[in-house]
Amino acid sequence: MRVSDHQLFGSTAGSLERIKERIVRVHEQIASQQRIAKPSDDPSIFGQAILEKSALADNEQWIRNIQFGTARVTVADKMLGEAHNLIARVRELTVQARSDTTSAQGRVTIAQEVRQLHRQLIQLANAEVYGQPVFAGTKTDAPPFVLGIGDAVSYQGNSEIQSIAVGPNQTTQIVLPGDQVFTGGTTDIFDGLSNLLTALESNNGAGIEVGIGVLDQATAQLSVAQGQIGAIANRLDTAQGTAQVVSEAIQKILSSQTDTDLATALTELKRQETAYEATSQTFSRLFDLSLLRFLR
Amino acid sequence: MGINRLVDIGKSALFTAQQAISVSGHNIANVNTPGFSRQQVTLSENRPENGSPGQIGTGVHAESIRRSFDAFVEQQLLVSRERVGEFTASSNALARLEPMFGDANNLGIGVGLNEFFSALQDVATNPNDLSARTVLLSKSTALASRFNQSAADLTAAQEFLDRQLGQTVTDANRLTSQIADLNAKIAYAESSGQQANDLRDQRGVALAGLGELVEVSSIEDATGQLTVFAGRGHVLVDKERSYQLVAVPDLGNNGLLDVHYDAGAGPTTNLTSVIQSGRLKGLLDVRDQTISSLQTSLDTLASEIVTQINQQHRLGFGLDGSTNQDMFAPTGTTANTIAVSLTNARQFAASSTAAGVPGNNANALALAGLRSTDFAVLGTVTFQEYYSAIAGNFGSTAQGVEGNLRAQQIVHDQLTSQRASVSGVSMDEELANLLQYQRSFEAASRMIVVADELFQTILSIKR
Repeated sequence: MRVSDHQLFGSTAGSLERIKERIVRVHEQIASQQRIAKPSDDPSIFGQAILEKSALADNEQWIRNIQFGTARVTVADKMLGEAHNLIARVRELTVQARSDTTSAQGRVTIAQEVRQLHRQLIQLANAEVYGQPVFAGTKTDAPPFVLGIGDAVSYQGNSEIQSIAVGPNQTTQIVLPGDQVFTGGTTDIFDGLSNLLTALESNNGAGIEVGIGVLDQATAQLSVAQGQIGAIANRLDTAQGTAQVVSEAIQKILSSQTDTDLATALTELKRQETAYEATSQTFSRLFDLSLLRFLR
Repeated sequence: MGINRLVDIGKSALFTAQQAISVSGHNIANVNTPGFSRQQVTLSENRPENGSPGQIGTGVHAESIRRSFDAFVEQQLLVSRERVGEFTASSNALARLEPMFGDANNLGIGVGLNEFFSALQDVATNPNDLSARTVLLSKSTALASRFNQSAADLTAAQEFLDRQLGQTVTDANRLTSQIADLNAKIAYAESSGQQANDLRDQRGVALAGLGELVEVSSIEDATGQLTVFAGRGHVLVDKERSYQLVAVPDLGNNGLLDVHYDAGAGPTTNLTSVIQSGRLKGLLDVRDQTISSLQTSLDTLASEIVTQINQQHRLGFGLDGSTNQDMFAPTGTTANTIAVSLTNARQFAASSTAAGVPGNNANALALAGLRSTDFAVLGTVTFQEYYSAIAGNFGSTAQGVEGNLRAQQIVHDQLTSQRASVSGVSMDEELANLLQYQRSFEAASRMIVVADELFQTILSIKR
């Protein structure tokens, strides 16, 4: 084949240009740490990565939701525990008051302590997380239990439950409405305490006896609520574990699909550099091969 | 037979060697001229004279100066130029659009959707928290403006391509009138039996340039003039006359330019849909197909988001008891016009009942659930899946064009190399020719010296 100068220079320039282009590409991948930065780098992976990022955002949001829910559930659980202890203390006092050896004056004194505990129970039942009461159903803009005339307590919340998303199409209840825990269910605990106070102050032995029965029912009702809250906490825990595992798995896939593998990229860079050097050297050799050099 | 004949033979050899040296010099001088075809002298013996015992030669003359040229390679190179022109235009235009899908760097609509739905969930977990609601409003606005930005980018790209199209039409007209001009010059030069080598090279360059813009075919007539056709047989150049392409705004296509053919008389013909290759084809493809389909897809997505979110949002109740409110402006159903209409964060309808305010979050949960709902309008996929398909399709188009361009460039390089092998100048060859003709020049000079000495000898007889 006849080889013209233009051919020689042109093809060498073309090869060098192509190698340089590849070097720049690899360099970009190394610098940005992204193997796939734009749709044309790998269309199907790029599209998939968008969906994976979306799934990742979902899982991280679920974890966020669960953390928020867990805060409420933990407080509710703690409050129920304290309410449980508080009722036990009231029962202890009431049993003491029931004894025939306790005078009317003694019963009034006990009533004073029971009243303190009654007020304390209102406080427990009005407990808030981030400014929102945990036993108000969804009426979270005001304290649910309001002390009225005398020892009467009224429930201002509602019976609705709040749920949060914790997984794909999964929601979990994160509150127990106060009417279910304190005023409704089997016993109205506040009514029972109010009646007990009246019985203590009016030295009414039979009333005190009834009060003890109510307290036992209250304990049972709180235990049921504690069980429910425990189950909710458990579900949240499991859901969080799942979301975390899935989240990590997605991150791993995303990274393996779209991040630059340094070993591969550096090897490729070295390869292209070598090709560039070799081509340059061949070129300078060819350039020396000219009749002009021998015609002096 | 006289000594004079010897002088004449020497003279013819001197002239011919000089001519050959000039041609080599011309080749060397044009080693880097684009489109130059190497020229060669063909030598031939002069007509012999009759004599005894036989015919006797009378020297040498240069019969013709030919250019080395392979019509087949040139034709293939022209086709390859058209393809390279087409793919280069498309590939550049698509590369400019790619940043729109900045999802790898957390900049795309996909990320906007993620953030919007996350903010929605935050309100769902904490429905009467005003700060979560405010964040939701700002994320909704951000989502809308991501759509607006993409739509604006697409329109800007379309207008940019349109201007390029207009410029390309102007360039094509310049080249056709150049070819027509050269046609006239070549016909004139060759009518007297000359070979218009350099003019033909120049016309080849102009034709190649035209081929990069639009697909052309050509035939040469007996006078050496080219007739050039484009767009299914429309004559662009006929002898020394060229016909114009004109860019005409198409009112049915947002005033974007169509390419028309002006036959010089009567109405112009629309060639937009028959252009097969070249830069014009590349520009038209991206402008009218890729960008248009992106616009349609983004509009569909924006419209469906507005419809679905609004529909669910209207069912709920805001902190202030408001209900039946739209979250996005119901009139903004394109990527360009989508906008948030809710201004007060308290009006976001998280609650499904009026009584459930502020803690009820059922409507917010339902809204958040739209994220994983398949919609028939989108082809039974979710918002995010639809968007991912848009990005994937665009990526495939861009990747395909890039691949085509790379492959075509390799073909083009090979053809260029083939052309260079036939028509390119080799310095070594020219230097060898120079030496060869220099030697024959020297020998011819010597011959004249010999003839002179013969004359001297004869003249000295008389003395």
